[in-house]
Amino acid sequence: MKRRQLFGATAALAVMAGLAGVAVAQDKTHVIGVSIPSATHGFMGGLNWHAQDTIARLEATYPQLDFVLATAGEPTKQVADIEDMVATRNIDALVVLPFESEPLTGPVKAVKDAGKFVTVVDRGLSVPGIEDLYVAGDNEAFGRVAGEYFKANLPSGAKIVVLRGIPTTLDNERVDAFEKAIDGSGIEVLDKQHGDWNRDKAFTVMQDYLSKYPKIDAVWAADDDMAIGAMAAIEQAGRKDEMWIVGGAGMKEIIKRIMDGDPQLPVNVTYPPAQISTAIELTALKYVSAAPVTGRFIIGSTLVTPENAAQFYFPDSPF
Amino acid sequence: MTTLALAGVYRSFGPIEVLHGIDLELHPAEVHALIGENGAGKSTIMKILGGYLAPSAGQVLLDGRPVTYASGPEAEAQGVVVIHQEFNLAPDLTVAQNIWLGREMGGLFLDHRAMREATQGLLDQLECKVRPDARIRDLAVSDRQMVEIAKALSRNARVLIMDEPSAVLTHREVEVLFRQIDRLRSQGVAILYTSHRLDEVSHLADRITVLRDGAVVRRAGRGELTEDGMATAMVGRDLKDIFPPRRTSFGPVALEVRDFHVPPLVHGVSFTLRRGEVLGISGLVGSGRTELAEGLVGLRPHHGQILRGSAPAQVRSLPEAAAHGIAYLTEDRKERGLLLTKTLRENLTLSTLADFGAPIISRKLEDAALTRAISDFDIRAPSREMAVGNLSGGNQQKLLLAKTMLPEPEVIIIDEPTRGIDIGTKSQIYHFIDRLAREGRSVIVISSDMPEVLGLSDRVLVMRQGRVAGELAGEAIRETAVVRLVMGTSEEISQNA
Amino acid sequence: MRDRLTLSTLGPLAALFALILLGAGLNENFLSAANVTNVLARSAFIGMIAVGMTFVITSGGLDLSVGSMAAFVAGMMILAMNALQPSLGVGLPLALAGIGVAILVGLLAGLANGLLITRAGIEPFIVTLGTMGIFRSLVTWIADGGTLSLDFSMREFIGPIYYGGILGVSWPIIAFAVVVVIGEVVMRHTRFGRYCEAIGSNDKVARYSAVKVERIQLLTYVALGLLVGFATVLYVPRLGSASGSTGLLWELEAIAAVIIGGTALKGGFGRVWGTVVGVLILSLIGNILNLANLVSPYLNGAIQGVIIVLAVVLQRRKSSAEGR
Repeated sequence: MKRRQLFGATAALAVMAGLAGVAVAQDKTHVIGVSIPSATHGFMGGLNWHAQDTIARLEATYPQLDFVLATAGEPTKQVADIEDMVATRNIDALVVLPFESEPLTGPVKAVKDAGKFVTVVDRGLSVPGIEDLYVAGDNEAFGRVAGEYFKANLPSGAKIVVLRGIPTTLDNERVDAFEKAIDGSGIEVLDKQHGDWNRDKAFTVMQDYLSKYPKIDAVWAADDDMAIGAMAAIEQAGRKDEMWIVGGAGMKEIIKRIMDGDPQLPVNVTYPPAQISTAIELTALKYVSAAPVTGRFIIGSTLVTPENAAQFYFPDSPF
Repeated sequence: MTTLALAGVYRSFGPIEVLHGIDLELHPAEVHALIGENGAGKSTIMKILGGYLAPSAGQVLLDGRPVTYASGPEAEAQGVVVIHQEFNLAPDLTVAQNIWLGREMGGLFLDHRAMREATQGLLDQLECKVRPDARIRDLAVSDRQMVEIAKALSRNARVLIMDEPSAVLTHREVEVLFRQIDRLRSQGVAILYTSHRLDEVSHLADRITVLRDGAVVRRAGRGELTEDGMATAMVGRDLKDIFPPRRTSFGPVALEVRDFHVPPLVHGVSFTLRRGEVLGISGLVGSGRTELAEGLVGLRPHHGQILRGSAPAQVRSLPEAAAHGIAYLTEDRKERGLLLTKTLRENLTLSTLADFGAPIISRKLEDAALTRAISDFDIRAPSREMAVGNLSGGNQQKLLLAKTMLPEPEVIIIDEPTRGIDIGTKSQIYHFIDRLAREGRSVIVISSDMPEVLGLSDRVLVMRQGRVAGELAGEAIRETAVVRLVMGTSEEISQNA
Repeated sequence: MRDRLTLSTLGPLAALFALILLGAGLNENFLSAANVTNVLARSAFIGMIAVGMTFVITSGGLDLSVGSMAAFVAGMMILAMNALQPSLGVGLPLALAGIGVAILVGLLAGLANGLLITRAGIEPFIVTLGTMGIFRSLVTWIADGGTLSLDFSMREFIGPIYYGGILGVSWPIIAFAVVVVIGEVVMRHTRFGRYCEAIGSNDKVARYSAVKVERIQLLTYVALGLLVGFATVLYVPRLGSASGSTGLLWELEAIAAVIIGGTALKGGFGRVWGTVVGVLILSLIGNILNLANLVSPYLNGAIQGVIIVLAVVLQRRKSSAEGR
């Protein structure tokens, strides 16, 4: 259970964990509400797993902390979850990964206005300054790191295709950063369509790319679920040797293959589902230590290569 | 002076002209009967009068002035009200809500009490025991007809068009209806009345128009036309022998029923039926006739004994009944008998499909069966591939009879063999029934049509409140005797009366 | 009943033909063997399910749970194969065991739907709305929120079920074709098909005609469950995984295909070959949008929606013409 120390915020966390050690147990019980989207695809599945794991561990360590976890399949349900937490569970703090920014901004602001401590994860709210603590992956870096790898490893005139996620701000940020990074390299983006972070959809879109373009040098699938779907389509078409693929988010199966030196999967870019653990732990620290817990924690996106892949491999996570 | 009239009205559907220059006048304070076989054009005329159809040529005159209605409700606003045969009632609304639908009392909020009271008044006039807040869905067919009539009465009609209102009513209800018609007539309402029951027509009508094939073939005043004369005019040929002659010899007992119960409606019914015999079952709607029949063929849970010949027969489902050679022809041919959107062939073979090849159904065998049915039962269909719903009622009934007879049953229970059917087809069906009996089969005829029961049956079983009220045979089968048993008036009192 | 060549019969065929012409005009690879194989193979899952759905809808029922059921069956199949691998080893016995599990689970799931509808007498919409949620939650729960993946070596072994074939025709296409031919014959020429139409047009008439209405209805749901099982057997080898998002909205695509093909949503008339046309139309829309950059792929759903509504408008025209 040591995996969550590995990311960008490692240093800050270590310091705080140190402080937590000295913290004295308090009499009053604090309730922390955690509201996240439900496990509809691999990345969210991993995130759910990390959230549950962290909560179980913190509850065992700190008897004075109580957690309320709710998962929602859509924004409306998430708003209702948050309202219920405030009304019926009397939470002291809220850790929220907004399903979508716009619809959640108002309700989260209401929680803040009621004097609760608010931690926002991954997707920022539409109005800045509401949250006390912001923990997120770096979408801009996620696209940029991948783009830089393409720029460095492909000759001018190379042809690539892109599989995008579900149409969202987050997806736009990643793709924009990717395109900016390859700008001026002479790499031609043949097509960029939405694979919705879904294996089946990515399989279909990739099949059609393969019918449409006789020559593809590389694929950027902005998520490992999509990378798996795309790989199956490429394999079926018998064009495995023609192109390599870069996915993202560090799914264990993909990391394993990078470790093994699969030529089709040279590298990966992290976007850690464990960021939710960081957020919950930092929020918990407010109640078990005297440390001031506010600010922004951006967990960087790192390039995973065969050399460093072992650090990113967690065989017992579902993702 | 006429209230509502048609002058030289033609109407076509596509290339087919169904009305050829109809002139018709409705006078105030008169009942005008419009009679004719199914398909003669009565429904089309009523739809044109009621504003539901426009004539292709010719005029509709209201108080002598030509009118064109955009819709039925617009005609209703002018005082022309139609009582439909196919009910226009919303099944999930209450009686009161239906009667005042679209004309609710009250301002911003509905005045439920006033509407309920007004409804109660209308129902009292009709001696109808239905509660104003009963749901239409829960009512019997005859009560629904009474509600439809109450709705028309509430409209304060100047012209009332009645499309076979008595078809589903019991004897007693028909009498109430006649009293209301008399009352409306005396108030100056012009009434157009249609019915297949010619005795009703000669009793009610001040004026009779006979229709055949879309043209008027006869006009007559009260008393100018006998029932036989009407029938002859409608059919276009002499109809002396509506009923076949009685059969004289019967075979052994084919079916015996002992102490038969169909909870909660039928109690302790026993009877026997011989080969070659037609047994009539009479009784009011709700006396348990249909329930008895459905119990006998396994459509309803029952207990008691059924013997075929001398062997006991277990009948818990229709297929079991069929295995014992018992078949049932439902009274509700549109909702229980035939698939209206399917072809003749698909309807004919539906209940005996296993006999037409397995696993692949033989189209050839099916077609052959249809050809045979069409000739055996004189089914007249413009096309074999047409939907059954587009056939006339008489041809539908003949097809249903053919379907029931396909497995060659030995005991046939026919519930209302001629409801809503013209006189010519009726006579044909009576002869079919006679033919079945003469072939050595046993037939049970359940009917509300008194002449039918009297004319067809070798024996009559009368049911009242779920029990056998009496049995009549031979010369004892007389209308008065049957009515006495149906109504439950005792022998002595009626003899004194 | 022989279909007469009316607008409603020709409509879907004409739409399919127009789409093929459009695709061929926009991209020369559209009619290549590889693309045709891709489109047909990817239509096979929903196609097989839609054939089963045709029977359910024709007999007046509805099944909203098939997408979730497919995910659940896939999950159980993978779980069973991973569990049996140590004892059976990678090979044919394990593959057969997986197929057996998929078909059995599909059959039981269909039986559950059917029994709730016919024995407990609950509306099909309600029952299958319920089981839709149940199956999907179960697979998410079994997968612990993530993805259930088949062991890699086994995936290699059963991959040919999706990717292989004979004479250049892949297995999913062959299986789909077989299911369609059987479905068409059953619907047109057997008692079961006739009874489905009879029950759908008026279940009371069917009951009074000695048709065992409940049994036929039950059988339609069981057959649909079985076809979901078959479809899953083809699906799992493709990616070797199942998750909470497997088969998402397949139920609506299957229902849409059935309706586009000319089967009446209220029951009483079913057309299996029409369903196949419907499935192909829906897949081709996606394929052409991917191949041609014609309009934004965001509008894929809108184009499918327009086609569904048009199909129903054509049906209306037909029924009002019959009304007279």
